[in-house]
Amino acid sequence: MDFDAIVVGSGISGGWVAKELCERGLKTLVIERGRHVNHRTDYLDFSAPWEVPNRGKVPEAEVAEHYAVQSQCEAFNSATKQWWVRDSEHPYSTPVDRPYHWIRGYHLGGRSITWSRQAYRMSDYDFGANQQDGNGIDWPIRYADLSPWYDRVERFAGISGATEGLEQLPDGQFLAPMELNCLESAFKKKIEQEFPTRRVTAGRCAHLTEPTAEHIALGRGPCQLRSNCERGCGYGAYFSSLSATLPAAQKTGNLTVVTDAIVERLDYDHAKRRISGVRVTDANTKQGRSYQARVVFVCASTIGTAQILLASQSESFPRGLANRSDAVGRHLMDHLVGFGASGTHPGFLDRYYYGRRPTGFYLPRYINLTEKGDVDFLRGYGFQGYAGRSSWERAEKEAGVGAELKERLRTPGPWGMKLVGFGEMLPRADNRVTLHATRKDRWGLPLVHVDCTHGENERRLADRASRDAVQMLVSAGFENVVPLGELKAPGNSVHEVGTARMGRDPATSVLNAHNQAHDVQNLFITDGSCMTSSGSVNPALTYMALSARAANYAADRLASGEM
Amino acid sequence: MLLGAVLLVGGGAALTRFNRKAEVFAGSSRRAFNAEQFALLEQVCEVIIPTTDTPGAIVAGVPDFMRQILEEWGTEHSRAEIEGVLEAVEKLAWSRFGAAFLELVPDRRLDVIKVFDGERLAAKDPAYAKFKHLVLVGYYQSEIGATRELRYELVPGAWRSCVPLSEIGRASAV
Repeated sequence: MDFDAIVVGSGISGGWVAKELCERGLKTLVIERGRHVNHRTDYLDFSAPWEVPNRGKVPEAEVAEHYAVQSQCEAFNSATKQWWVRDSEHPYSTPVDRPYHWIRGYHLGGRSITWSRQAYRMSDYDFGANQQDGNGIDWPIRYADLSPWYDRVERFAGISGATEGLEQLPDGQFLAPMELNCLESAFKKKIEQEFPTRRVTAGRCAHLTEPTAEHIALGRGPCQLRSNCERGCGYGAYFSSLSATLPAAQKTGNLTVVTDAIVERLDYDHAKRRISGVRVTDANTKQGRSYQARVVFVCASTIGTAQILLASQSESFPRGLANRSDAVGRHLMDHLVGFGASGTHPGFLDRYYYGRRPTGFYLPRYINLTEKGDVDFLRGYGFQGYAGRSSWERAEKEAGVGAELKERLRTPGPWGMKLVGFGEMLPRADNRVTLHATRKDRWGLPLVHVDCTHGENERRLADRASRDAVQMLVSAGFENVVPLGELKAPGNSVHEVGTARMGRDPATSVLNAHNQAHDVQNLFITDGSCMTSSGSVNPALTYMALSARAANYAADRLASGEM
Repeated sequence: MLLGAVLLVGGGAALTRFNRKAEVFAGSSRRAFNAEQFALLEQVCEVIIPTTDTPGAIVAGVPDFMRQILEEWGTEHSRAEIEGVLEAVEKLAWSRFGAAFLELVPDRRLDVIKVFDGERLAAKDPAYAKFKHLVLVGYYQSEIGATRELRYELVPGAWRSCVPLSEIGRASAV
């Protein structure tokens, strides 16, 4: 054996698995398909606006030719361009009339560099939702199974937030919150008066407001309020694989990382009923090679993991590895986004703020929980939001030139607020990732084909969320209140989950309660693909907790000789 | 992903690399703006953002920025739109005052640009929207615009959630 463990993928999930396994004394290989990244020195976070290439603009022709999908992400610009794949080099297919936006980056650390850093626990309302309304299958775990692991990952990652005592949004091990600004505080007061079961709380985010000794020992420092986060943070102030988990794994002396290695397939030993090898193609030379280990974790992202499993066909698994259930690739979900509301507020003109806070506020789910009447859909939504004062950009739409314009723009513009809905999507078997029948990528691997649509429940949910957002802003005294827009095509929230779901029954699910494949005992999957439902909160913290839990379970089984 | 509360961008370290790539995608190898157009561009920018107690558009490098952005970022279509705006300004100068824009005294230049700005924004003209956007970005995201006209700190270092505007002074450039 080359290694005790192999982890495919170095993003949020893979980083966590590597850290836990290394700390348990296992010689661990992390395989990353993208290039190597140096924490700090490869980041572009210390440039002022006037030092940034073309003030952030990526050439129009380059966007059209290479980044048509990736540029849909708001964080895409000339200083973050290195964190997104070129669509032209990494194609995938969809039905012509059913777009899916697969937003991703191939490099060490994956999307842990560009994530929005919002970190929320799922609750038993989420873990019990499938069972309660009969969509999808039941999760094989409940909140109590994950709660200690949420504690563990929150302490290590460093999550800033406020304690609220809400059942639907369990509290955690928080560092000091990033306070609401003047208008947000007023909004909170008004909303909590008008709608007694709704709550507005500081956005819970993976930023060090008060670094602990453990954070500092890893070279991480406190957040400097720059909001250059998506460029990478040289202070290591937000959690990423590069700032936190991989350095911790490295410290053990048990970590090996290979980059530019694309996993082509996992080889399966029929007699031993185990994965016998991980075959990779060198991204640059296209040479093949293989690695062996006692246990393999696949954390290649929801669509990437499905692709690897489907491509790993064998006599035992003609439909793809660990796919006796035919659930691999199915039940693709992504949080519903595109709707919400914005408005301006006439007050607080003598108030402002200092610093560029990298989070906003969160208004957790109430619909179908504490507010149940008159609802024509299942599940629910939460809102992320923020308030701020406009600056010079407002002049793009306001008439005015000359000295008068300059003078006017010296003072901040009126306050505005945005409420952005994030809704739960139901698991449906025909929302699906498959391998393209004929088209292949430049490495000769079959292209991913994504076929994913929203249904009536999703549309009704989005409509209601939009109406609620408008109503809340109006009731809190906002003016010029308008809905944000329509439900966007799936993929746009970059919260894709579900393609190798956990469950109790091997006939309907891929993974058991420990993220272990029902049919292949040395295979674990802990990225978003394991999610049995999507819930309505940002999923990354749950991947972290599941990854840490599964890694320790696997280490226990290896230690006891049961695997 | 979180909504982009404040989207800002940066990266001196890789300037060379990005610029090299940018060249490949320049809309055209042709220089943006001939000498006449550039002279007009300079004065139009300066009328929109004049020198007052702080430097105006020319000193802040806005016309040079416009040229660079059209050479490195814009497609032929964007170039044509921006050049079209300059032509239309020139036409309006002739129709209002019977002379070229550059021949007009400062008050008349301001009059032309004020009328033009009002009309084009009301008509939601995409070419002018792009033009004004570039002038504003060129100025307020320049070092002069961000730090002398408005306020900008690369490393704020603290979050003060609710403070009197009088303590902060001017609007933040980012």
